[in-house]
Amino acid sequence: MADPRLVPRPDPESAHYWAALAEGRLEVQHCADCGRWTWPTRVICSGCHGEDLRWEAVKGTGEVHTWIVTHQVYSAGLATEVPYTVAMVRLDEQDDLLIPGRLVPDDHVHPGMRVRAVGHRVADAIGQLDWTPR
Amino acid sequence: MTSAGGSRYPRGRSAIAGIGCTEFSRDSGVGVFTLAARAVKAAVADAGLTLADVDGLATFGVNDSVAPNILAPALGVESLNYYVDQYYGGSVSLSILGQASLAVSAGVADCVVCYRALNGRSQNRVNGSGTSGGRLPWDMQFKVGAGVLAPAQEIAMAARSHMIRYGTTAEDLGNIAILSRDHALDNERAMMRGKPLTMDDYLASRWITDPFRMYDCCLETDGAVAVVVVSAERARDLPHRPVLIQGAAWGGGYTVVNNGTTDLAESPARMIAPRLWENAGLGPTDMDFAELYDCFTYTVLSQLEGYGFAEPGEVPAMLSAGAFDRATGALPVNTHGGLLSEGYIHGMNHVFEATEQIRGDAGVRQVDRHDTAVVTGQVGYVSGYSSAIVLVGA
Repeated sequence: MADPRLVPRPDPESAHYWAALAEGRLEVQHCADCGRWTWPTRVICSGCHGEDLRWEAVKGTGEVHTWIVTHQVYSAGLATEVPYTVAMVRLDEQDDLLIPGRLVPDDHVHPGMRVRAVGHRVADAIGQLDWTPR
Repeated sequence: MTSAGGSRYPRGRSAIAGIGCTEFSRDSGVGVFTLAARAVKAAVADAGLTLADVDGLATFGVNDSVAPNILAPALGVESLNYYVDQYYGGSVSLSILGQASLAVSAGVADCVVCYRALNGRSQNRVNGSGTSGGRLPWDMQFKVGAGVLAPAQEIAMAARSHMIRYGTTAEDLGNIAILSRDHALDNERAMMRGKPLTMDDYLASRWITDPFRMYDCCLETDGAVAVVVVSAERARDLPHRPVLIQGAAWGGGYTVVNNGTTDLAESPARMIAPRLWENAGLGPTDMDFAELYDCFTYTVLSQLEGYGFAEPGEVPAMLSAGAFDRATGALPVNTHGGLLSEGYIHGMNHVFEATEQIRGDAGVRQVDRHDTAVVTGQVGYVSGYSSAIVLVGA
């Protein structure tokens, strides 16, 4: 049983995002009016204030903007995981799409490292996003 | 630097007239109710007032404290005309002072006591492993799956970005930890009084979340601080030198996963800094000293940049040159040791210290020039908010 503190709690707006990740797809909202990508979940486009935001699969590739290596055990489920690396990755689609995820494996992490998204199921209709070197 | 935009902030129309605190410890042995009551009573007495004069209470917390509606009757407050019960932590620590300033200036309330009480070590540890649960911020769902649960992790992300972009080093962060510790050594309130910190100690301390070591992180503390805000006019008839609230600003809005920024190395303080200085009618070069929210070493660096005390990337050289030293620096910073070495009362102890300094009551810690100060709430990417006030001695 996964540590419940580590399982995202979707709301009606974000449920699609988590369900897609559970099926292995990273989907991000794309504005049909102005073409802007937006993450995390929105109901109004932060670029044009339009409301026609559509979930679309992104390429799932990007580069490491920054990262941390966590040694402190912040929850019981992480006791056997430390030290672990979390990377903040800039998606190729848009400069301000910075999305955190575990970097696995984390050898040779460096700024600009090319990575791709890996989604995997952690609970019913809930996925987790990891990054892996390309 | 008054603004063409014409800020209508009620500059200098309210003042801090009293301050109070409890002991700062690892285990208070009492509840937050008691801590809050003791600090408020002490602050009101310091102002030369009585609890019957209090008609407003303002606080903040993360489901770990006692709210104004509970505290007011327990203190014997007869008529509560104003309250603030703000969710979140250090990022909003100065917003409650700003709110009190506006309320008093507008005549909505006459005497607002701002307080923060927490058993941050013995009961509800704020380090992410604790039980401050209940309401979780909406954006936590986008962090927890990655194993990101604690503020240290989010601000370490920003610190690493700064290292990548500007070449900031571990030793640079260590110099901030040591600066704070040096300032705490002779502070009788400080949990780290008399305990020097060397660069070797800093570098040898254990990793919390790389690039943060243990000494990059503030203390966990039990305690409370309270601050009495009244009109400037009334403060002039009270015992201490009035500490005028010249201006304040609070806002921001980006968290580490809800950001809209393209580079986490950029200081979030830049979002509220223009409004802060505009509201105060003063600028960074007018400040005699600064008490900057230091939940982690890096936030000091980030705020020195964001509030305009340094250009991005300049802080490490300024630190090495002693620019922020209490005794000799051009801008003494965290004159009491801050959250890193005095104690973590979620930023309210910065207000206490700034008030003592402006009054000239800081004893061995007294800085030479002490008429103006900026005091800030957290600037990082945790809640997304930032807050700050500018204080001026009357």
